[in-house]
Order: sequence, then structure tokens, then C-alpha cells
Amino acid sequence: MTADPLVDVKNVGRTFDVSKPWLNRMIEHLPRQFLAAVTGVSFSIAPRETFALVGESGSGKSTVAKLAVGLIPPSAGDVVIAGVSMNDPARRAERRRLRRRIQMVFQDPYASLNPRCRAADIIAEPIRAFGLFQRRAEVAGQAHELLRLVGLDPADGRKYPHEFSGGQRQRVAIARALASQPDFIVCDEPTSALDVSVQAQILNLMRDLQDRLGLTYLFISHNLAVVRHMARQIGVMYLGRLVEMSPTAELFAAPRHPYTRMLLDAVPDLDMTGNPRKPVEGEVPNPIDPPKGCAFHPRCPYANARCRVERPALLAAGPALVACHAVEEARL
Amino acid sequence: MTKTLLSVRNLRIEFPTRRGTLVAVDDVSFDIMPGEVLGVVGESGAGKSLTGTAIIGLIEPPGRIGAGEILLNGERIDDLPSERMRRIRGRRIGMVFQDPLTSLNPLYRIGHQLIETILTHTAMDRTAARRRALALLAEVGIPAPDARIDNYPHQFSGGMRQRVVLALALAANPELIIADEPTTALDVSVQAQIIALLKRLCRDHRTAVMLITHDMGVIAETADRVAVMYAGRIVEIGAVRDVVKSPRHPYTIGLMGSIPKPDVDTPRLTQIPGSMPRLTAMPPGCAFHPRCPQAFAPCAARRPNLKPHGNAEVACWLFEPGAETCG
Repeated sequence: MTADPLVDVKNVGRTFDVSKPWLNRMIEHLPRQFLAAVTGVSFSIAPRETFALVGESGSGKSTVAKLAVGLIPPSAGDVVIAGVSMNDPARRAERRRLRRRIQMVFQDPYASLNPRCRAADIIAEPIRAFGLFQRRAEVAGQAHELLRLVGLDPADGRKYPHEFSGGQRQRVAIARALASQPDFIVCDEPTSALDVSVQAQILNLMRDLQDRLGLTYLFISHNLAVVRHMARQIGVMYLGRLVEMSPTAELFAAPRHPYTRMLLDAVPDLDMTGNPRKPVEGEVPNPIDPPKGCAFHPRCPYANARCRVERPALLAAGPALVACHAVEEARL
Repeated sequence: MTKTLLSVRNLRIEFPTRRGTLVAVDDVSFDIMPGEVLGVVGESGAGKSLTGTAIIGLIEPPGRIGAGEILLNGERIDDLPSERMRRIRGRRIGMVFQDPLTSLNPLYRIGHQLIETILTHTAMDRTAARRRALALLAEVGIPAPDARIDNYPHQFSGGMRQRVVLALALAANPELIIADEPTTALDVSVQAQIIALLKRLCRDHRTAVMLITHDMGVIAETADRVAVMYAGRIVEIGAVRDVVKSPRHPYTIGLMGSIPKPDVDTPRLTQIPGSMPRLTAMPPGCAFHPRCPQAFAPCAARRPNLKPHGNAEVACWLFEPGAETCG
């Protein structure tokens, strides 16, 4: 990592209040309940780099995405983008200017585009909102330019979202994200809803755009193969915590954390080596009531007494950071 | 040579609309042998789910089977009256769908649903059916089936629910299971468990499976043979190793190239330009020709049929000698 990251996520955490309504709590004598969706996550992203977060559902990766763009405030820690804290009340004016430079692409292009707006209007909205261009013709010209940039025909700007295929819709969503001329784009499962051949088109497009426009991505996915293709640095999340953070090549060549190994092992084998995979037993536990000690220990083949009581810290192991007692004790 | 279990011959599924009849599946033929796993792979809109729905006789009107026939053990099942089809469905052909929460009734305990299925399709009495339900739950890997049998579907996690659905599909010991995207809604680690379970169950029960999925990886892991569908037709069908390792049809080649692989570094993924044609705008000739990097004269003019090539069958003019001359 270079000395001056664009995005610096510092020990960020977020809990949600999932208590029953007040009256139910009183009648049924229930305590308040909190869900720690994300705990103590730190990473930084250098300009023009891609950092990826992988994990299964419930791992908290989408919560990190929302924290990073400031859609929800953190309960602990801070997100600093281009030197400006996203949560310091004293820096509101600076943050407002910063907003333009941060954008997001969501998973489901069927839900993230307003069905009553034409594509060109969807794309023009950020341009108007941030006052990048004033004159109507300039705004329209810019929208056409963006459509061309993402591989659509400017004439498609007349269409409504339902007239596009899934892949084209995601292109419109990317064009909208680019409309405010951002530096940092958070992509939350941008291709999960798409067919593989369309996914390839979108991933290639996103890489081309990164090279051309010097974008910085926070890329969130459950698909390790996609992440490998996109990112230089990968963080693996499990139940709200980073369990391993490593340069991409290193993570795939020498996965360290047992959970990372399991994830890699679970990817269906296209090479047909015929090696039987050993599927790990069990599923992600309920985050309201996470296991004591290391959250992965009930599913971990290497767990011992220490893993059941003491939560492992994220420690350096070679070029990676790993939160695992077995790795730390060189049992693995 | 064993007898073919399921035979689909020149199946055509069409939807009459005000602007004419749309053909969603056209001239699809394949066989499934007893105990064989046939993967059907394709992108959304390729017609793979519709083909599965046609086999179990659940095509929603106004959709209809326009031509062709479906034979189960040599007996036609596509033109049966709905009452007789209902007795085949569940007993001889089991079904597993993508979303386990919608294929289980949320208002009934899973034990009730299992026992009802067993009672409907077999001659067992209630006590025997309950015993069989418990055995099935144990077989699909539900821990403590005695305790879980009286739970409601919402009390199970996604992976466990899909196990219950598998138990339901197996309840009457069917000869064939149609599994439509059985692992798509699941996390990767759970997906691996369900694939392993499906493989084991089919081996133990000698049940044939038609595995419909968009995930080539799942097919490579599970299937014996694979049919690749594009725009309502099979473009390539053959032994899974042949198709995955050395795809012949340009669409299959593109599809394989567009899958990001966890063990290879590629700066760019192969991409197929454009997208699958809509039913209302099917190109003439080979439906893939507008996107095909190797299209030549006959492709736009005439539709290629499946022809044997090596261990596979391919529907592409590239593999028909002398195609240029007659094009």
C-alpha cells in the first residue's frame, strides 16, 4: 500500500438495534437485543486500486459498503476519505464537497433504477444535483457521453429501465455512478444478478473504466473467482469481522485462515480434476448470538480449547493479516 | 444397453400472443438414462427451466407444448390428462426448485408435508410414513430429525430447508428428479454441501437427475452429460468432460471463457458481445450468428441441426463439411 490512501477505514463497527417493540419487551420481559453487523474492520485503499471484500451472506460486507459511502453512520471507528472524516460533525462543509467523489453501484439493477425515469434522466440527475453543468443541452450532452462510455447507444437514453436487459441496466447504473465524476466507487455485488457472459462484459467494462478514469473501487462479492479477477487486495469477512486480509495472488496461492481455505475449496471445480471436495459442515451462525471465542470455531476442523474462549486478533502472517490461533501457533 | 428413462423428442414450447406465436423452446431432443445426471446449462431466457416445466407438465397457460413428445420409460406423458399426470408428478418424477422457502408450505410442519407426500404416493399407513419421513430427514443430513420433524420451514436455515426439499423430492422414490437451480440461492459453502448430498442420494437411489443451472461449475462437479441451451435450442450436448474441457460450439466456447476462474490470472475475460435475442426478434438461421465471432455464409441463412462430432453433438455449420457450398 502506498503511503497516502484515498480511503481509510479505521476500526469501524456497526451495531443494529433488533429489539422487539417497547410494549412487547415490557410484557414479555425481554431485554434489548443488538446485532453487531460489523466489528473492528480496518483497511485502506490506495488511489486507483481495488480492494475487495468477500464473505457469505450475513458476513457484514454490505454493511461495510454502506459505512464506506456514509449511507449509515458507524457505531464505532471512522471512515476517512481523501483526508476527510465521514463522521466528524465539524467537517460537514468539506464532506458535502466530498460526496460528489463517492458513488455506489448496487447489486440489483432492477431495483436501483427508477422505473418511471428515462435512462438519460437517471444519468443526468447527479449532474444536476451537483451542479456540474447548468445548461440543459450540456447536461444532455454529458448524459449521452456517459452512455457511450459504458457501451450503450446515446439513443438508448430515451428508453425506460424495463426496456433494457439486466446487463444493460447495470451499464446504466454504472453510467449514473460515473455522472458525478467520482474518484471512489463502492460496488456491492455488481454482477451477482447477471448471467456469466454478461458478468464478463460488466467486469471488463469496470476494469476499462478504472484504467481510463483512474477510479478507486471497493468491490464486494461472494464470488472468489470474480474477486480475484478484479482486486489487488482482498479482505475475507466472517460474521462481521475480517478474518484474513492479503494481496490477491497470495490469498489464492497460500490461503491461511481455515475459513478462506474452505471458501476456496467450495468453489466448484471447472478443471474436473476429480478431486473430491470436502464440504465444511454447518452454516454461518446467527449474528445475534455469535459463538464465543473465534466465531468460526464450531465449523473449524483445527479448533482447540483456546479457539473456543479467546477471540483471535488480526496478526501479520507473511504478507497477510490473519485472525486465527492455529495460524499464530503454527499448528496450520 | 439399459433402457432410456426419459426421452424428449423435438419438443417445442410456444406462447400464443396477440402479435403471433412466440417459440420459447424449439426442436429440443435429449435422453436421460436411469441413474444418469444430465446437466442443462444456459443463460436466463435460454429455455432450460421451461423444458423442465414441460416434462413435469406444469407449463402455465397460455404456454403450450406445440410439437414433439416426452416419453417416460417409453410411455408418452406430455398428453396425459392432468389427473394422471398428477400421479406421475411426485411419485415418478420429483422436483427441486431454486427457492426452498417458496417450495415448502410455511403453514405446515415439515413432518406433515413429508408424511402427506408419502401417503399420497405410496401404500404406507401413517405410522410407517412417519418412520419413513424420519429416515429421509436423517438421510439428507438433518441433525436430530426426531426433534426437527415438527418444526416449521421458517425454523430452518436456507441450506437445511433445501435438504428438506430434497427429502420431499425423494419421498416416493422417484425415477427422475428435476432440479431447477437447486443451489443458486445458497451460500458457496452450503452449495458445496448440497451438491455433495445430491450426488450421494442419486447414486444410492439410482435416481436420474435433470440438473438445470446457469453455473457451469456445478455441472462440472455433478453431471455425467451436459446440454448447453441457447435461445430455446440445444447447441451442444455431450459428456460433461468433453463439453467443459473442449467446447466446440462458439457459444459454449464463449460461455466457458467468460467464467472467471479462481486459479488463473487473466487480465481480461473473454466476452460474448451483445446479448441473447428476445423471443420477438429471433434472428434467422442460427440464433447465435449475430454474436458469433466465426459466423460465415450459411449461418444467417439456415438453422444448423445437432450433428455428432467426436463424443458430443454440436449444432453449428462449422462442423458440417461442405456447408459453405450449399449456403
